[in-house]
Amino acid sequence: MDVSNIIESLKLIKPEIAVSASLILVLIFDLIFHKDKKLIPYVALLGLFATGYFVIHQFGTTGFGFATKSTFKAFGMVTVDSFGTFFKLLILISAVLVLFFSSFSDEIKKTTDRLGEYYVLIFGMILGMFLMVSATDFLLIYLSMELLSLSSYVLAGFTKLRDRNSEASLKYVIYGSVSSGLMLFGISIIYGLTGSTNLYVINSLIQSPQINVLALSFALILVMAGMGFKISAAPFHFWTPDVYEGSPITITAFLSVASKAAGFGLLIRFIKTGFAAMTLNNGYWMLNPIFDWKLIIVILAILTMTLGNFSALWQNNLKRMLAYSSIAHAGYLLLGLAVFSNQGIAAILIYFFVYMLMNLGAFLIVMLIADKLGSEDVDDYDGLGYTSPFLGISLAVFLVSLTGLPPTAGFIGKLYIFSALIDAKMFVVAVIGVLNSVVSLYYYIRVLKHMYLVKPKIQPVEIIPGLSQKFLVLLLVVPVLFFGIYFSPIVELAKNCVVLLGF
Amino acid sequence: MAGFPILSLVTFLPVLGMIIIMFLKKEQALTIKYTTLLITGIQLVVAVVMLLNFNYNAQGVFQQSSFQFIEKFRWIQVPGVSWLGTVKIDYFLGVDGISMPMILLTAIVSFIATLSSWNIEKSIKGYFALFLLLDTGMMGVFVSLDFFLFYIFWELMLLPMYFLIGIWGGPRKEYAAIKFFIYTLFGSVFMLLVMIGLYFSAFETLADGTKVHTFNLLAMMDPSNFSANGILSPFNPSNLRFIAYIALFVGFAIKIPMFPFHTWLPDAHVEAPTPISVILAGVLLKMGTYGILRISYPIFPDITKQLMWWIALFGMINILYGAFVALAQKDFKKLIAYSSVSHMGYVLLGMASLTTAGISGAVFQMFNHGTITAMLFLIVGVIYDRAHTRGLDEFGGLAVQMPIYAGFVTVAFFAAIGLPSMSGFVSEALVFVGSFSVEGIRVLSILSSLGILLGAGYMLWTLQRVYLGKLNEKWANLKDLDVREYLMFVPLSIIVIFLGVYPSGMLNIMTTSVNTLVNLVNNGFAKVLF
Amino acid sequence: MNNIPIEYYLILSALMFAVGITGVLIRRNAIVVFMSIELMLNSANLSLVTFSSYLGNSIGQIFVFFVMTVAAAEAAVGLAIIIAIFRNKLNVNIDEINIFKW
Repeated sequence: MDVSNIIESLKLIKPEIAVSASLILVLIFDLIFHKDKKLIPYVALLGLFATGYFVIHQFGTTGFGFATKSTFKAFGMVTVDSFGTFFKLLILISAVLVLFFSSFSDEIKKTTDRLGEYYVLIFGMILGMFLMVSATDFLLIYLSMELLSLSSYVLAGFTKLRDRNSEASLKYVIYGSVSSGLMLFGISIIYGLTGSTNLYVINSLIQSPQINVLALSFALILVMAGMGFKISAAPFHFWTPDVYEGSPITITAFLSVASKAAGFGLLIRFIKTGFAAMTLNNGYWMLNPIFDWKLIIVILAILTMTLGNFSALWQNNLKRMLAYSSIAHAGYLLLGLAVFSNQGIAAILIYFFVYMLMNLGAFLIVMLIADKLGSEDVDDYDGLGYTSPFLGISLAVFLVSLTGLPPTAGFIGKLYIFSALIDAKMFVVAVIGVLNSVVSLYYYIRVLKHMYLVKPKIQPVEIIPGLSQKFLVLLLVVPVLFFGIYFSPIVELAKNCVVLLGF
Repeated sequence: MAGFPILSLVTFLPVLGMIIIMFLKKEQALTIKYTTLLITGIQLVVAVVMLLNFNYNAQGVFQQSSFQFIEKFRWIQVPGVSWLGTVKIDYFLGVDGISMPMILLTAIVSFIATLSSWNIEKSIKGYFALFLLLDTGMMGVFVSLDFFLFYIFWELMLLPMYFLIGIWGGPRKEYAAIKFFIYTLFGSVFMLLVMIGLYFSAFETLADGTKVHTFNLLAMMDPSNFSANGILSPFNPSNLRFIAYIALFVGFAIKIPMFPFHTWLPDAHVEAPTPISVILAGVLLKMGTYGILRISYPIFPDITKQLMWWIALFGMINILYGAFVALAQKDFKKLIAYSSVSHMGYVLLGMASLTTAGISGAVFQMFNHGTITAMLFLIVGVIYDRAHTRGLDEFGGLAVQMPIYAGFVTVAFFAAIGLPSMSGFVSEALVFVGSFSVEGIRVLSILSSLGILLGAGYMLWTLQRVYLGKLNEKWANLKDLDVREYLMFVPLSIIVIFLGVYPSGMLNIMTTSVNTLVNLVNNGFAKVLF
Repeated sequence: MNNIPIEYYLILSALMFAVGITGVLIRRNAIVVFMSIELMLNSANLSLVTFSSYLGNSIGQIFVFFVMTVAAAEAAVGLAIIIAIFRNKLNVNIDEINIFKW
């Protein structure tokens, strides 16, 4: 590992450098202009745009960075490829949107004096997520996950306005630390068995039959528990509803999209880089038969979406309902992984892109309504569709899209997931999946029922969003409808971003 | 007419109307109503123009060249890579003798339903916007020849229907609306899986000679387009094709609604406002049977033949069950709803016969049921508007009080019973001719004819209870029909009587296509050449 | 290391891990729960160091340094949150931190 190697590697992590620089810049700004914090969001936005420039430039670039040993020069701490860049783009777009959300949110406005920390921590999350989706070494995997976790623990309890913030934070810390402890123990076992922490090296070593399969399976389950926590897959999902309900809504939105995306990016890369022997020409992966990968992921997926959907049925708090719904969506996404093929990964990428738009949209509307209404309970939404038609119709579009009905983008996501399943001849799983989406209709449509069908007991509040808020909502509604009708661009993008470096 | 996108016009005209309505103000109620009326009126005119230009000798069904008013262009195209084939979806519309009657029916019923919507009072803007969206969805289902497009239109109707029942409906509207939604979605998700399965099994050869997977319905009807190991390929010995057929059939059966999937219908009908009941019974139910004829039959002829006895059996159950339950009803609207179940049974029975007479009868019955039941629901709507009750036992002697109304009632009731010289007679007769001639289902056909008797029973009993006898004094001040209501009843009555006297007017449209379909199904996958 | 077989270290590490997990599951005081979590992390550290020494490569020992840093950060964040809760409730018993239910 010489200096030139490091300099070469630095070129590969320009987006991460941009994020770090922005983080420091925001921190400095916060220190210099501590009287007037109005400027900070703009600085943060500027930082994100700069990062965006580097991320977009990175499309098509591939390479290994920061090799630990010169003998293993090819394999480094980070691997840059289009797959990771796609997730970076996704994280970045949601970060930009969340930044705008934050500038509207009443919850965040009440903490203006600590605005600097808020943005610094958000940049911390972004940095963690960027590294997560490109990490190919357990050391970096662990560190980036911790960076994301620590920042989000604090942000979950950031506003401190109500008890529920601190409670969300505490639960998040406890569940999070336990799962990272489990993962770390798993990592130590894998290290003991193979003598390396690099996924590529582990992959080549694991082919040998001397490996103790039992110990390895145990370690893998522990590691996947840690990742399952990040994507809130059952049975590691218990933190999700509490944290989502208790956190400030901007953070909830960010966690539900970006943090989940990073978790999925990591999980997919971990499985494919670490345990795929090769990718067949028809897109299917040959996985090392350490244990029945397909069975485990399928069970996880079915458990996750069924639990998520059925628990969401009787939620009154919309944030909590959306939390369970995001668990259910994690289940659908896991179905895409369970196929273990490039088709499945393409489906996941398409689904994630769509999910980002519709889920952030739903959270945005809930936030705008909650700011005026002071409540996130669905019972308080009675008659709101008539007094606030713009928000009502937009929320309807997002919820219909989350259900997966055409002509919205959500349908396209579901279409590709189920196509991947059918192509892999997993019919029973597909049937369970579609039945789940029928169940989900019930709780999504319940919101619309309250907004339009139920006769309000009291005169509903009139909520007129400002021009910039309207614009932001439209920025999400229009793509959800457009990609539902014309989806070639997303498919094209996803198709080009599926292949991981080395396979 | 060549080149003019008349099908897109007829399908998307309502969307245009919806956009216009969006820009109108809430207070301009009358303008909104007249806009809707104008749009549905133009739609009707366009449909008639199509009929005038319709070539009665073109086969359609499986042959793209003999479809009419074809519009086909590339909608989605993503070049493929080694592991993901080229994604290609066409915007593909076309009409043949089976869809033409349905397009006419949709246009007529939408126009009448608009008239009948005149006294909607609550949030008029939303109502008519959703109404027009629903119209587009219905029309789209009947003109699509691409499964993907078909599915989008099929699902597009769900949301407007949910709101139309749920917002403007009766006391239990929320329950009825969600029940409708969940039932139909339950059916259509299976349709989605079958659609994907067919997509991965069938190929289409593009102009440049490459073979790509396709959603094109016509391509799926040709066995040479299936790869031998495709999931739903006819050459695949597994029973997946059988399962797929059942799944697809359930999706359609829920819409028909076929026993035992019918329980959403009475609730939806009773709670829905009159015009929506009219649309629901007049057009929506036909989508189920149309889907079976357009998709299940020609794509799965082998399995259709295996299962024809079962389809006939369910047809018979529908006829008898619907009729018996109708006999026991005390609510006028519920009675009509169950009579719908019974009448859709004839369609199933006719389809199951796989004969020209039977299927012509089925398609004709679909059209007739659309017009007759629309009238019946309007009749219920008229007294409900005036008396605010639908209890069958609360009326009596209305014929004296409202003679003109009673005249239309008589036409509708006799048509529903199937009296000769009314359209219903011809289609039911054809259904029975068709089903009786097939040995396998002759017994079912004979048993089903009991349904006519029961139908006459409940219809005449209703006529007697509501319209004949001594006038209940409570209703002595009910007014007879006004001009708008005339406008709803007169055209429907004319159609019902005209087609009763001159059924060839409608039968000629469909004969060629129905013949082609029957040949296609009976000869299995052997290509039909004549 | 020459006299004590590697199994001893690993068994000790596994025991520590088990004790940590049990502590998290059954103890009700948030601070004790955090101590149990630290125990879990340290058991992982022990096995990392053991393997590192056994395999004769340094990756495991480097890893441990990072883990120790992260653990310290995690404890800091955790304690800060516990203090925030303590100010509101004057209590850090997990059973009583229960605004959220199913």
